Amino acid sequence: MAVAAAAAAARIWGSSRGLGQAGLLLLRRPGAWGLARSLPQRRAQQHFPSLDDKPQFPGASAEFVDKLEFIQPNVISGIPVYRVMDRQGQIINPSEDPHLPQEKVLKFYKSMTLLNTMDRILYESQRQGRISFYMTNYGEEGTHVGSAAALDNTDLVFGQYREAAVGAAYAAKRANANRVVICYFGEGAASEGDAHAGFNFAATLECPIIFFCRNNGYAISTPTSEQYRGDGIAARGPGYGIMSIRVDGNDVFAVYNATKEARRRAVAENQPFLIEAMTYRIGHHSTSDDSSAYRSVDEVSYWDKQDHPISRLRHHLQSRGWWDEEQEKAWRKQSRKKVMEAFEQAERKPKPSPSLLFSDVYQEMPPQLRKQQEALARHLQTYGEHYPLDHFEK
Amino acid sequence: MAALAALAATVGGLLRLRAAGAEGQWRRLRGAGLLRGLLQPDSATGVAAQRRHVAHFTFQPDPEPQEYGQTQKMNLFQAITSALDNSLAKDPTAVIFGEDVAFGGVFRCTVGLRDKYGKDRVFNTPLCEQGIVGFGIGVAVTGATAIAEIQFADYIFPAFDQIVNEAAKYRYRSGDLFNCGSLTIRAPWGCVGHGALYHSQSPEAFFAHCPGIKVVVPRSPFQAKGLLLSCIEDKNPCIFFEPKILYRAAVEQVPVEPYNIPLSQAEVIQEGSDVTLVAWGTQVHVIREVASMAQEKLGVSCEVIDLRTILPWDMDTVCKKFREAAYGKEELDFGRRMTVFERNSGFKNNTVLQLKINYIQQCQKGKKNDSLQGSVIKTGRLLISHEAPLTGGFASEISSTVQEECFLNLEAPISRVCGYDTPFPHIFEPFYIPDKWKCYDALRKMINY
Repeated sequence: MAVAAAAAAARIWGSSRGLGQAGLLLLRRPGAWGLARSLPQRRAQQHFPSLDDKPQFPGASAEFVDKLEFIQPNVISGIPVYRVMDRQGQIINPSEDPHLPQEKVLKFYKSMTLLNTMDRILYESQRQGRISFYMTNYGEEGTHVGSAAALDNTDLVFGQYREAAVGAAYAAKRANANRVVICYFGEGAASEGDAHAGFNFAATLECPIIFFCRNNGYAISTPTSEQYRGDGIAARGPGYGIMSIRVDGNDVFAVYNATKEARRRAVAENQPFLIEAMTYRIGHHSTSDDSSAYRSVDEVSYWDKQDHPISRLRHHLQSRGWWDEEQEKAWRKQSRKKVMEAFEQAERKPKPSPSLLFSDVYQEMPPQLRKQQEALARHLQTYGEHYPLDHFEK
Repeated sequence: MAALAALAATVGGLLRLRAAGAEGQWRRLRGAGLLRGLLQPDSATGVAAQRRHVAHFTFQPDPEPQEYGQTQKMNLFQAITSALDNSLAKDPTAVIFGEDVAFGGVFRCTVGLRDKYGKDRVFNTPLCEQGIVGFGIGVAVTGATAIAEIQFADYIFPAFDQIVNEAAKYRYRSGDLFNCGSLTIRAPWGCVGHGALYHSQSPEAFFAHCPGIKVVVPRSPFQAKGLLLSCIEDKNPCIFFEPKILYRAAVEQVPVEPYNIPLSQAEVIQEGSDVTLVAWGTQVHVIREVASMAQEKLGVSCEVIDLRTILPWDMDTVCKKFREAAYGKEELDFGRRMTVFERNSGFKNNTVLQLKINYIQQCQKGKKNDSLQGSVIKTGRLLISHEAPLTGGFASEISSTVQEECFLNLEAPISRVCGYDTPFPHIFEPFYIPDKWKCYDALRKMINY
């Protein structure tokens, strides 16, 4: 009875394979009657070898299991952290040494330290009221420099915009541009729906993109224990069908190696890669934040003193005889001078004219906006003394 | 067993027929033996059997366009397909994507395009509107043309952040270093008779508040193709809302070759002297009919304007900047005082009439000097109508602007005939929509103000 109803249902709802074919196959059993006899025998000999052995669902291919068991999310021993150097800067496995020339490794070091110097000066300048807002990179210099060094000059870099990065990668693929797109985001931003959309689209549309997650332990004051319960961000990649790796973000060579290989394969194979760089945010979230409100000074001090990407690389350079104290002193002075000069030069420049407030909303300025622009100009003619016009170009 | 199978088949058949809305056939089947006991007709409760209700408008095709070459009879979705076909043919970077676009789309707008242009150019995305728009932004940032489809305008809200915070601000925030101008988002829009809360919305007002994007709504197949092509070629991100009730219902001659209809230009589709009626999309056909009713029953001459682009909207056509120099404040004031006197006293004499004629001529002369059309300046009365809810609807923006620019020209308060401030209802749709009777009634009150 159920069989006949199933067959009737199959005819009503159309030729969708699952129910229809299953219904027909059930009718093969001896003893089935009613509609069964009227159906041609050869339809029953379809290409399913045996329904009992393998699930045929379009949604997933796997084996059957007859024991009730939930999958345990494994957070204690999760995805391992790839590293090349130990905390003293010594290469652990020589076959993982990227064998970069001295000049390039020095460039790594100078970039990281110049960034660090710029951070100090700009953070101070905010405290002095000379700029309005700043975010430092303390502790994460290895993730920036190591990954950037592994890219080509024509590759596209997106800070944050996860879905747009995927679109750009798709267009680059169509254009045969031989470009990879890299998108940086933190472990906090990975909670946004944007990340989910970005991952899923990148995988389904086969885009040459590297998702680079900087897991630095905090999203402002929110520690990772309140940000996620799974095994970080790297563990999510396989859920989307994405090649994934977790690396030591404080090891610039590990970051470099992983990004280099991801770039090569992303472009060659048109598939996304997810790199989760583990690191620690030594500084405050921004100049509007005082992290002593939510974490201990000891914790911060540990990372600053014991596991810092710049120190690690410096040890490595020194052990190879590529750097010494004298060069360090000279470079610190030089980098500071460089930043100060650039800062002061920028500070002297007047800000652009207030009329530019209205440009680039659209490619062309619509008449309404032009009227508003003229209204502001007229207003400033009368009330200009109440506005900081001295700091702006006319 | 056979009886049960027959039952199953008949029930299935019934469900299909009912879904097709063919009530007559249903009544016929009811007589078939088995079912009499199982299914009671509505007459048992005394409520009349319901028919699917007739559309609230009549689509008025425009005359066959002569200036764009060979034309073909197309309905709205075919006109859209034609525009998309033209775009993909001339722009090798153009791609179309969204939910279910590969097989042709739930409204058939992309039928045949995947076969013609390839699966890398016409493809499905996962079910994620923020992803669709965000992805589209990225494609556009590289300079390629991105045509994103949102399956229903009601579902555009997950993409709101991407549209407002990313797409609209891309050029501005990068000082024109980057832009996503080659992004166009298309979505079916507006009431359809049975769409209810989530298949009927008209969200243009939400986006009107967002500088950096353009919002366009066509009223017909010919308009749709030209406007869509303009959106796709426009160097700013555009949202193109397609009135879904017109997909099949609107049929007219549409040029086969590509052509453009300019954005941010309203169209006066009927000239008139007494009242200005403004609408967009499906509602244009409603107010067109209201204009005929007004002429017939009240002897009132209506000017009918299709706004076409919601953002940036064509203020000049709807109203004109009040220019005291053009007609002189005194004359205008005098004219207005004369009109009030005339109305209050019920006193008509030649002198007053002559003064009024002079006044109207002055206005029209002023209008001609400007070479701009100032509809409300001409008529003094404005009625705006849209399906979207009244409060914060786009009619409020038009109303506010017109009273600023044409205050002294107004003979009556501006009238807005819109949906109520409720979610779009299911069974109450016939009562909710701003149909021709509500528009007519508002117009009548405005004339008698």
